Amino acid sequence: MAHVVLKDLVKTYGSFKAVNDVSLTVNDGEFVALVGPSGCGKTTTLNLVAGLISVTSGDIVIGDRVVNDLDPKDRDIAMVFQNYALYPQKSVYMNLAFPLQMRKLPKDQIDRKVREAARVLDMTQLLERKPRELSGGQQQRVALGRALVRDPAVFLMDEPLSNLDAKLRVQMRSEIKRFHQDLKATIIYVTHDQLEAVTMADRMAVMNGGYLQQYDSPAQVFAHPANMFVASFVGSPAMSLIPLEASTANGGAVLTSAEGWSLALSQRNARKVQKSTTRKVVLGARHSTIKLHKSAVPGAIPAKAYTVEPTGDVTFVQAFLSGAIVNISVSPNVAVAPDEQIWLEFDQERMHLFDSETEMALEAS
Amino acid sequence: MSTVSETISRGRSARRVRIDGWRWGGRAFLVFMLLYTALPMIWMLLTSIKSGFAAMQFPPQWWPDQPTLASYQKLLDPQNSVGQDFLRFFWNSLIVSTATTILSVIVAVPAAYAFSRFTFPGRNFLFFAVLLRNMFPAVIFLVPLFILMRAIGLVNTHGSLVLTYLTFGLPLAIWLLKGFYDNIPVQLEQAARIDGATRFQAFVLIVMPLSTPGVIATAIYSFIGAWNEYIYAYTFLSKNEQLTLPVGIQRFFSENTTDFPGLMAASFMMSVPVVVLFLLLQRYFVRALTEGAVKH
Repeated sequence: MAHVVLKDLVKTYGSFKAVNDVSLTVNDGEFVALVGPSGCGKTTTLNLVAGLISVTSGDIVIGDRVVNDLDPKDRDIAMVFQNYALYPQKSVYMNLAFPLQMRKLPKDQIDRKVREAARVLDMTQLLERKPRELSGGQQQRVALGRALVRDPAVFLMDEPLSNLDAKLRVQMRSEIKRFHQDLKATIIYVTHDQLEAVTMADRMAVMNGGYLQQYDSPAQVFAHPANMFVASFVGSPAMSLIPLEASTANGGAVLTSAEGWSLALSQRNARKVQKSTTRKVVLGARHSTIKLHKSAVPGAIPAKAYTVEPTGDVTFVQAFLSGAIVNISVSPNVAVAPDEQIWLEFDQERMHLFDSETEMALEAS
Repeated sequence: MSTVSETISRGRSARRVRIDGWRWGGRAFLVFMLLYTALPMIWMLLTSIKSGFAAMQFPPQWWPDQPTLASYQKLLDPQNSVGQDFLRFFWNSLIVSTATTILSVIVAVPAAYAFSRFTFPGRNFLFFAVLLRNMFPAVIFLVPLFILMRAIGLVNTHGSLVLTYLTFGLPLAIWLLKGFYDNIPVQLEQAARIDGATRFQAFVLIVMPLSTPGVIATAIYSFIGAWNEYIYAYTFLSKNEQLTLPVGIQRFFSENTTDFPGLMAASFMMSVPVVVLFLLLQRYFVRALTEGAVKH
């Protein structure tokens, strides 16, 4: 196992910058998820690490070597692809043996390692089958086995679960997590699904537009999103972002809406707002930090319920505030009807404030 | 309520009848096509086992009174001058077609792979340029190519034909194979390269075996094209001992008499290699044409 360092990594296609100055360190044995919407540069970054495409500038270090100019085969990596990329003409056994054959291992050693990997992944009885005779989950496991059999320095995984159905995805998610814990493997995992990143990774690198937006543990990213993009991308349903204007009233800081209502801010939040470049501020609140009242309460803001979605455990209510959609979760025994008048109370401690101009989070100090 | 369900059921049965109509129409069309393609072959076969006199009778003998294999014996007899000629023509055709096939596969495989996988300056231009030749009827190139072949001293050699057939066969071979490579996920090669293969090894060990059906289809296509070609063989070759079958068979026509059973027997034997090749490899050919129809 080894650590991986990306230093000011840039990849351009003509005038298009796919990856922009990405720098991050993956520690030995760490599980890092690269996450972001399609086209954010996460897969390009992974392919750069794999050596499938060449870097425009910057350095990639695996272990203690700069691998920029090494062929994929010389980087001591293994990769699991979204479509598994199993060799269709080869049996499962030969698929697993291929990386070892390419390294010219003796036959008996290959056989031992292949059977060992098959045993670990519980597919000994599938060894003679062809990939097309396997289910999606089994194919996925063979792909994992082919990566595992070589004992590489780093595992690269490119959306390995996105071709599976929902139930299998959850199951494989815990299997991969278990696999990481047992092997203490260094894993770089690309996904567009923030839930996979949050549930599996030690640290997640949120990317957008080729830029690294935030690189931290899922808990930190969730609790302290660095900017509006991260805030809206991580968490489901998404964090509500309400554009407001800062002003003072009665000696305290308030946020006022074009709709006429205003929200008094706590001392700490008032200090945050002072940092903004303009008076325009975006209020961010997760669904669980907004309290829904069915009658007027001091400090609560009147709104109209728009849709009501019961999910069993919780009921999600959507409302419009200042032209933005606000998600609120309530206990299922709270009956709310669409178009009903409701009052929303924001938790001062857990609300996020963003500079509307820079889209960056505002900090108190 | 009842009227609604009646309307629905009537609608259903009407639709069912229409589908059946299409199906029967389709079958009739297929039967027609079968007769259209098979009858000439059957007539060729029947004529080839008639005597010269029976072949010319009118009204025709549908089934020969005295079937005979004399024409075949004559063609395959190396002692006989007709047999000597036929066997030599057959051999010439085999050499020219095989050489064309091998060369076109050797050139088309890397060319198609490059067009499919790499971006390089002039890629699109080149790709359409290879098709340019196919925009014109073959005869247009007859005289220019003849002059060219004379200039490089290839007239009256089989090489002139192989070169010419390649210019016809290659564009389509490259197009066919490129489509094939396009359908092989690039991740397979990437996986192979990460698993320890060089780019070339990834091509030879992973991509080549997967593209076998495409290569076979391309080979059949090139072989048949070269095997059947007439006008260039007729123009470029004048020495009797070099003629290929399509030209050689002409010799059964003469001013006074035409040996129809002999002609038909020769035609039949000429179609044998193509049919055999096709029967042996048809499953690859069908796979080549339907590749990409299913999800990978």
